[in-house]
Order: sequence, then C-alpha cells, then structure tokens
Amino acid sequence: MSTPPLIEAHNLAVRYPNGELALHNVSFTINSPSFMAIIGPNGSGKSTLVKAALGLIKPAQGSIKVLGYDSVKQVSKIRKLVRYVPQRDRIELAVPMKVKDIVLMGRLLKKLPPRFASSRDTEIAKEALRQVNMESLWNHPFPELSGGQRQRVLVARALAGEGSILVLDEPLAGTDVESQDLIVDALGRYHRENDVSIIMITHDLNPIHTMVQDVLLLKNTVIGIGEPCSIMEPELIKKVYGPTAKIVEHSGHRYCLTRDSGFDRHD
Amino acid sequence: MIDIIQIIITSPFLQRALLAAVLVAVIAAASGTFLVFRGLSFMASGVAHAALGGTALGIFLQESGLVPWFDPVLGALLFSVLVAIFTGYAGESGITQKMEVAVGVSFALSMSLAVFLMYYIPPYRVPQIWGYLVGDILLLNDLDVIMLASTAVLLGVITLMFNKEFVYVSVDMEGSVAHGMNARAYHYLMLIISALAIALATKAVGAILVYAILVAPAAASNELVKSVRGVIITVFMIALIAELIGLTTSFVVYVSPSAIAGILAALSYILALQVKRIRERVHMDVEETTSTPADLVETFNQSIAIEEKRDHNHEH
Ligand SMILES: Nc1ncnc2c1ncn2[C@@H]1O[C@H](COP(=O)(O)OP(=O)(O)O)[C@@H](O)[C@H]1O
Ligand SMILES: [Mg+2]
Repeated sequence: MSTPPLIEAHNLAVRYPNGELALHNVSFTINSPSFMAIIGPNGSGKSTLVKAALGLIKPAQGSIKVLGYDSVKQVSKIRKLVRYVPQRDRIELAVPMKVKDIVLMGRLLKKLPPRFASSRDTEIAKEALRQVNMESLWNHPFPELSGGQRQRVLVARALAGEGSILVLDEPLAGTDVESQDLIVDALGRYHRENDVSIIMITHDLNPIHTMVQDVLLLKNTVIGIGEPCSIMEPELIKKVYGPTAKIVEHSGHRYCLTRDSGFDRHD
Repeated sequence: MIDIIQIIITSPFLQRALLAAVLVAVIAAASGTFLVFRGLSFMASGVAHAALGGTALGIFLQESGLVPWFDPVLGALLFSVLVAIFTGYAGESGITQKMEVAVGVSFALSMSLAVFLMYYIPPYRVPQIWGYLVGDILLLNDLDVIMLASTAVLLGVITLMFNKEFVYVSVDMEGSVAHGMNARAYHYLMLIISALAIALATKAVGAILVYAILVAPAAASNELVKSVRGVIITVFMIALIAELIGLTTSFVVYVSPSAIAGILAALSYILALQVKRIRERVHMDVEETTSTPADLVETFNQSIAIEEKRDHNHEH
C-alpha cells in the first residue's frame, strides 16, 4: 500500500479522569482518502474517538494513527493536516465573535502570531461562507445566529482551512432542514472537488449515506465497519440503538429510523 | 480650565494619580476583557486578595528577620501568580465550576493568612496590609507608578501581540489545540500576566477598586458591544471616565476617589443591562410588526409538508 490509512486503531482504550471507560478494544482501519461517518447513539464514544485521534486525549491502552502518524508521538504532524470543528456546544458564545472571525479562525490558527488575515485569507473565507449560503452575514455577531446558521458557519470554518483531513463533530446536530441540506451539499461537493478526506460524526446517517464511503458504527467499541448499506443491517442497528430501531428501503436506499435523534450533550 | 491645569502642574501627587488612573484603565481593558471572555472575572478578586495575603507574608518575613531582604511586593506578586496558576490549572478543561472553587479557596486562604499574620507583625505596618484592600490613588509614590506602568505596558504589549490567541482559547480551546496552537501556553500566559498587573494595581488602588474596575466595565461592554476590539476600547473608556470622575469629585467634596470610581463602574453594568433590555424590547416590537400573515401561511404549509413526509417514512 502506498498511502498510509486515514485512521488506524489498534486495541485502543480511552478512559476519562473520572474513571469512565469511554472506549475499549477498538481496532479498525479506514483507507485514505475517504468520506467516512462515525455513527452511534449518545455517549457511544464518537467524540472520544476523534479526540484520541487528534491527540486531545491520551489512550489508556493501544494506539491510534492518522495517516500513519501516531496520535501521541507524532501529534504535531497530525495537527498540521487536520481541520477540526468540535461539537457546537463546545464553542463559547460569551465572546463577541463575528461570523468572519469564526471562519477566519480556520485559516489563522495555522499561522504564527500575530496571525493577520491577508486579502487572500479573507477571499477564501468569504468563498467558504458562500458554500453554505452565509456570505451575507459576514459581519453578523456569531452568538446571535440560529443553531443551524452557527453550524453552517463552523462548517465554513473547516472549508476555509488548509490540511487534507476535515474532522467534524456532529455538524448536523440541532439544524433545520435547510441548514442540513446546505451543509451536506457543501461537504459532498468539497470532497468531490478536492483531494481531502472527511471524517464526520453524526447521529443520523440518512442525510449523508449516499455520499459516504465508510461507516464506523460505535458503541464504546467497534460494532460494525463497512459501506453504508452493510451497516444499515436491521440486526446491527437494533443491537446498537435498541429494539425500536428500524431500517426502511426507499427508492433504492436504506434509511434508518431510530428514536435517537437530536443533540449529544456532555462535558 | 486653566485652574485645573495649574493644579495638575503644581501637584505631583495629582499627576501620579492621573497617570495611575490611565494605567489601571489599560489593565482593565487588557486583562478585565479577556477574563470576562474566559468566564474568569472572579479571578480578579482572588488575585487581588492573594496580593494582600502575600504582602502580609512579605512583611512578616521581613520583620521577623527570617528573610530580611524580602520586599512585601514580592510576596504580593508571588501569591497572585500562584493563585492565577492554581485557577488556570483547575480551569484548563474549561469547566467554570472548578475555577470558581479554586478562586474561592485561594481567596479564603490568602485572607486568613493575612489576618493570621497580622498578630505577628509590628502594628505600625498593619495599615500597609489594609492599604491593599482599600488603597488610595492619591498617595502613590514614584516607584509605585513606575512599577504599575511597567506591568501595564508589558500587559498591553502582550495583549496586542496575542489577542487572537487569547480569544481563540476562550472561544474554542479544543479546536485551537487540534489546529496546532499551543493553547495551554497562551491560557497560562494570559492568566499570569494578568495576575502581575492585578497585583500591582491592587497595591496602587486597592483590591476593592481593582475588582470593580476590572470586572464591571468589561461585563457591561460585553453586554452591548459586538466585537472584541469594541469591547476592549469601551472598557478602557468606562474605566478611565469612572476614575477621572472619582478623582475630580474628591476635590469638590470630601470623599474617596476610589469609592466614587467603584460605584460608577458598578453602575455602568447596571446601565448596560437596562440598555440591553430596552434594545431587545424595541427589537421585538419591530419583529412583531414585520411578520405578515403571508409568512405564517407559508410556515404552516411547510410544516404540513414535513409532517406528511414523516408519515410517509413511517409507512415503510
Ligand atoms: N470529559 C469527560 N469526562 C468524563 N466522561 C466523559 C467526558 N466526555 C465524555 N465522557 C463520557 O464518555 C462516554 C463517551 O462520550 P462521547 O465520546 O462524548 O460520546 P458521543 O460523542 O458518542 O456522544 C460517555 O459515557 C460520556 O459520558
Ligand atoms: Mg459527541
């Protein structure tokens, strides 16, 4: 194999300081490039897996690599490659940021102080906002946007950045239909037109399952991995989401119906 | 007007007071703003009182002959920085609750230590400790002003250089780290440099005024102003005006300038809340008049369409 895998986990376990074992026995490989989705119910360790991959949490056991770089020993290499958008509730709204400030973060974070925005940075940031139909709110206060609009701006932050891997934690959580469509289209287009991988955590595979290549189904360990349709197995989904979960087929695609929707919240 | 200028020219203590007022306003703008963004405004009070405990310890070490060269201001700086680091450590994960506890504990510890040591230091030096609590901007000497100026300038330069980093740490700690920014270093840099400035400002104008000037204007501006730079400038203006009015008033009537400045600073926050409420009410009125029935009809139709789609899915 010429290019190393996008993500590769070996017997990974992650424990939080309070003793909670969020992930255990996680082993899998996803080839690069990919548009991958990480799915699973609330508290299944999706965010934890991504944070371990980015070196934000150290594994209690095992290892995880991103494009061949170890998340502990070579974390600075990984951070050059990655553009990360955490869960929306991790963004502090008490700071009077404008929409442009948030999007420019995507570019300025990779620079050195004093991190001035060049006219090219501004141009790219505006283009990214255009992708999610938010360019007219360039000067608008970010905390005053609706949930869906904020999510769109955060996705634009990732689109505006540089680095071959986009990592988005629940970009569809708490969005209205319009925002959801805009985000999904923008990400799909970006993946087609650029040589990048996208790792997207989501509650709900349905809006993106026609464009994702790999799906990782988690419930504190790997329950399933494969193409969207192989993950959309009634037995598998019931095992993870409970007996009320259903798979439906509609115009050639499988859709998953679960009671579990909405927004993960935890600190 | 001429009179005022003449008074200022002929009285060095007034010049020092005016200079100190500007410097404290700089500290409020640089430090207070970012502490409020970081959800750490109460740290200002923890640090200011730690300075008091540190001074008490410094005087004790000096007077008891244990460490004769130990200047009390060293104790103030040391304690303040320790409290800042302790708070910063508790809050590294961004959990405000833990930081609050850290500040509370430091506060209690420094004050208790100060009161404890007061019994073991010569009575003539006790007022020096109380000076850290109430302070008097009109009694500063040259050295006080020079020290205050050096930290204010240092703080100002660092804030100018790293204001984006300080903002990013406050807005999105995880995201900043994941993009390769050394967020922890900036987190501590901000807290430590703020602590140094707060400690020296406390020596100059007293803990109570420092707290009022650092927190209230920043909180007030953050309610109303919608850009980071705007908040910083507004804080500077509010703090400076409050202090200048305080100084001026103290010449007309017999009153402590710090007391007036503190009261005005606190009032600025209450005023900001009122203005915000009025603004929101106006905003709501506008929205009410502009939402036409046509909009509602469309919304209603859309919601029916979504309902239908959902039912459709369930049938499968
Ligand atoms: N900072 C934390 N401290 C302690 N436990 C945590 C923390 N973050 C998450 N957890 C726990 O770890 C588990 C996995 O969380 P998470 O990765 O956030 O799940 P998901 O993103 O799939 O909803 C949950 O049980 C959650 O309660
Ligand atoms: Mg999560």
